[in-house]
Amino acid sequence: MTTVPSAVRTVRWMVRDTFRQSLATKLFWVMLGITLLATTFCAGVRVSGTPLTSHPAEIPMRLPANDPERKKADAAYIPTGGGEMTLGFGLFRLKTPNSRDDGVRFVQLWFAGVLADTGGVLLALLWTAGFLPAFLEPQAVTVLLAKPAPRWTLVVGKYLGVVLFVALQAVLFVGGTWLALGLATGVWHAAYWVAVPLLVVHFGVFYAVSAFLAVATRSTVVAAFGTLLFWVVCWAVNLTHHSLAAHPPENLSGAASSLLAAGYWILPKPVDLSGIFFDALGAADFSAKVPELDAFQVVGEWQPGLSVLASVLFAAGMLAIAVYEFKDMDY
Amino acid sequence: MFDNVGKTYPTGPFGRGGVAAVRGVSLTVPAGTAFGLLGPNRAGKTTLVKLLLSLCKPTSGTITRLGGPTSDRRTLARVGYMHENHAFPRYLSAAELLTFYGGLTGVKTADLRPRVDKLLERVGLADRRREPIARFSKGMVQRLGLAQALLNEPELLILDEPTEGLDLSGRQLLRDVVAEFRAAGKTVLLVSHVLPEVEALCDRLAVLVAGKVAHEGAVADLLPKAGGPPTLEAALKPIYDRGAAG
Repeated sequence: MTTVPSAVRTVRWMVRDTFRQSLATKLFWVMLGITLLATTFCAGVRVSGTPLTSHPAEIPMRLPANDPERKKADAAYIPTGGGEMTLGFGLFRLKTPNSRDDGVRFVQLWFAGVLADTGGVLLALLWTAGFLPAFLEPQAVTVLLAKPAPRWTLVVGKYLGVVLFVALQAVLFVGGTWLALGLATGVWHAAYWVAVPLLVVHFGVFYAVSAFLAVATRSTVVAAFGTLLFWVVCWAVNLTHHSLAAHPPENLSGAASSLLAAGYWILPKPVDLSGIFFDALGAADFSAKVPELDAFQVVGEWQPGLSVLASVLFAAGMLAIAVYEFKDMDY
Repeated sequence: MFDNVGKTYPTGPFGRGGVAAVRGVSLTVPAGTAFGLLGPNRAGKTTLVKLLLSLCKPTSGTITRLGGPTSDRRTLARVGYMHENHAFPRYLSAAELLTFYGGLTGVKTADLRPRVDKLLERVGLADRRREPIARFSKGMVQRLGLAQALLNEPELLILDEPTEGLDLSGRQLLRDVVAEFRAAGKTVLLVSHVLPEVEALCDRLAVLVAGKVAHEGAVADLLPKAGGPPTLEAALKPIYDRGAAG
């Protein structure tokens, strides 16, 4: 029988152990190093130009200087933004057709929406894939399994430990780049912080798959590459679903359409998570959205809240299967 | 207590085949004794220990641990287990490992620090307490393994090939620990190939051959006496042979 205090105690100890493991394997310092590099880059960003305006006649789309509409707007003294961005402490100069705020948000979109949300999450999945298989090796875990700690708490504790470790890294990354950009440009976007929960959900959902593969196979290679492959499949299903939902082909059968919808709702949705950040940042002002997601939003079927909930439920289900498998596993 | 316990490990595709590691074992380890479990390689000794510790489930029969079913993990809080070849997390120091394992065993936080200090002193690792386990020799890891088994002041101590890699002082330490358990009326289950160790430490023994109990009785009954086999090894040989033939 499992008592709540004993389960909580075990999970707490496992989380603590995972942080020690991340420090010892240098993963903590590698990720912190990447954050420092990104923060230094952001500290070297300067943006000049008009601040974000709210002129009632402002045309919503930023237009190039030679566009006839832009010329008309300029002639009418309608503020259209535009300026210069320098990177690397003045080393590189870029002309931007946007306002200062847009320039900063553009950098934020790249850092959190592209670098961290795709590259960072996938690298974190790869780097942490070995934590559980190493822990579950018979020679490493038998003495732990002979302790009175409930078995399920060992897996859940390890999972939570890794997710909390990545959450800490996400806070440091987003916080560091936000602070550096704010100090360097004077532009402070609170919406940028939405990236933290989104990064954590994104990682946590796919790490649940990694945990399941680790329990089922005890192989780091399978956990790492199986999860990456699964991410690609989910990304493709997510994108295909939006594309076909926005522009349904005439020859698509009802069964195929239902199957795709079921796949979309059951599987995690990495494209949707990116879309939520894109919208939170108001990035449509200066950047194009993923066309499939854009088209899906236009037809009014996108439900971001439900999308996140379904992804989280998938992760909970995967973790539950992993725990169930581990609970009765022979050692 | 094992009552007609069997354990078959599935093999082959979809687990259709099976290897019987333990077959119909009925055995009682009396409370307050030092009980030796002997047998050749692949006799099923470690499987029997794993079954007792709920590391795997029996295919048949029932097992009782400290008066309760093995499904009740709470009784594990009263058991100490030292494994012959355990891979402790190499990133932890000796003190961190004992604190971690003590926490999982349910030792109260207030008791943890003094108990860890005392045990490190006891096993001769007090001066290496902050050193990562990665730098430890096999013998030092075994000493640490003994310390973690004693963290919860167990009523039942299970030692699986405990002297592997231990030097003379380490072996003496182990003998002292077993002697203390016997004096305190606690139970020790010792799995070993080293016969002089079993002879010196245990009151009773069981011999396991090919997954079955081939002999069970007092160690004294097998010790050299006039007209009998000259050594414990010589006394055990016909038991091993009989078990293998049967």
